[in-house]
Amino acid sequence: MSIPLYGFLQGDVLGLLILAEEHETVHALSERLQEAASVRVGHTQDVRVIYKGNVLAPGLTLREAGLASLERFDVVRS
Amino acid sequence: MLNREEWLHLAHKLDWQYSYVREEDIFPELISGRPYLPHSEWQDWEESFKTSYREYVENQFDKDMAVYAVRDAVGRLENIQKLATPWMNSLKVHAAALPLAEFTGVIGNLRGARFGRDSAWRTMAVFGAMDEFRHTQIPLLLFHQLVRWDAQFDWAHKFYHTNNWFAIAARHFIDELTVGQNAIEFHIATNCVFETGFTNLQFVGLASLAHGAKDHLFEKMVTSIQTDEARHAQIGPPVLAKVMKHDPDYAQYLMDKWFWRNWRMFSILTGVSMDYLTATEQRTYSFKEFMEEWILDQFLRTLDEFGLKRPWYWETVLEELETYHHMIYASAYTYRATLWFNFVLPGPDERKWLRQKYPKHWDEMDAVWETVSARWAAVGPGSENELSVHGKVLPTFCDLCQLPLCGGTPQKNAAIVLLFENQNYIFCSEPCRWIFLREPERYAGHRELVKRVLSGEAPSNLPDLLTKYFQLTPETWGKDAYSGAYDWLAAKEAPAAH
Repeated sequence: MSIPLYGFLQGDVLGLLILAEEHETVHALSERLQEAASVRVGHTQDVRVIYKGNVLAPGLTLREAGLASLERFDVVRS
Repeated sequence: MLNREEWLHLAHKLDWQYSYVREEDIFPELISGRPYLPHSEWQDWEESFKTSYREYVENQFDKDMAVYAVRDAVGRLENIQKLATPWMNSLKVHAAALPLAEFTGVIGNLRGARFGRDSAWRTMAVFGAMDEFRHTQIPLLLFHQLVRWDAQFDWAHKFYHTNNWFAIAARHFIDELTVGQNAIEFHIATNCVFETGFTNLQFVGLASLAHGAKDHLFEKMVTSIQTDEARHAQIGPPVLAKVMKHDPDYAQYLMDKWFWRNWRMFSILTGVSMDYLTATEQRTYSFKEFMEEWILDQFLRTLDEFGLKRPWYWETVLEELETYHHMIYASAYTYRATLWFNFVLPGPDERKWLRQKYPKHWDEMDAVWETVSARWAAVGPGSENELSVHGKVLPTFCDLCQLPLCGGTPQKNAAIVLLFENQNYIFCSEPCRWIFLREPERYAGHRELVKRVLSGEAPSNLPDLLTKYFQLTPETWGKDAYSGAYDWLAAKEAPAAH
């Protein structure tokens, strides 16, 4: 099932819509946001995904991590 | 013959006490506005600068003749074609945003002309409506004649008829400011904030920039419009004074709400024009310097004069002076095909000037421009490479102001999610969320662009979004004004392939 999410990459100038899938991993989500923002922000290997104030384990699926539709997530440098 | 001072007061204080109809039926609260007061409370309404009909007609005729004389002298197509490319695109922004918005000012003033609570107010609003006709027709005439040369000027008429994301935001703002508004809120929001606080002074700044850009036609147009604004903007203060006397909390709310909403729109229109779409050597001041000198101090003096407090979000405005229009321009540059005008990539000279004027967060912004420039260097100049230096994923928008989520800084975006009546809303800033929560019945049903895409109302793929929803064409959608062919960029080495 698709989950539309508002993604904010540290260093970028606006939020982006990421149409994620429940079975995707947190790590994959961070890569998708970085790719989406790549025209403005260079890729960084070492990042964390923050959701509702918590750092998400990269191996979790989005469903396991509890991400919900039209919520905000941030990708920040570690 | 009597002097004007001897008879004019008789000609604009004309109300009698109604006995065959109820005042509430002639001036219903829903349209006239609140606080609802009997006419006895409004009968001392006075404007500072009075004019008779004859004076109005004579003065406006002279002003119009002066504008057309300048058009005939320096406003021909061959004159316009010589203007610098960045400035030309600033003209396209204003050409689209200005004329039809001015026509809604006709509607708003006519509401005041019919439902204002004193005859003097209603008289001035009639002149205000006629002013706004002029402000519609002059720019439409001057800009639309350029369509035969550059199709992007077609947006002088087309803009508000499209679902372009900026048109959605502009309509959202203007619909509420001028058209869907009761007379009291219209005059306070439009006269006291929009005109006195922003447009009147924006025209001062724009006129100065136009002069520097040798665009004497636009310079004459805006200075001529400005003289009308200065006259009809005086309708607002006596309305505000009355509301302040009877409902000061409401007066404070109106000023706070409308200053924020105006700040959002004008930081884009004027900030982008001053700091990016004017050639560096022609910039006399930065947008921040202009705002500090001409807008913020003036607004605070107005608040003091009426016994109002500084808006609770004032520190946010001061912070955003350093960042917001920069975030917007960088976002819009990388989504330029979604707009109807062209963009200029800031080069070393421009970035040096911007760093000097905006030192606090410029490192963060400069990193973005460095990355964008590197992308151009990697793919090479040429119109065929435009989309390689362009975002492909849908940006996100505020559920109040409908503008991109560009609040805060690149290090920390200020966007806030709110769960309201089992639905998530997102706002670019605290003030936008605050306005929403003050009037949720007004805003909760609106759908910004992302929600339109998710519901299927708007297409999700970029080509269809551009052409079918935004009504752009390959000829009119925005591009880099030089297709990436900058001398300074040619000197950059492309990064090594991995």
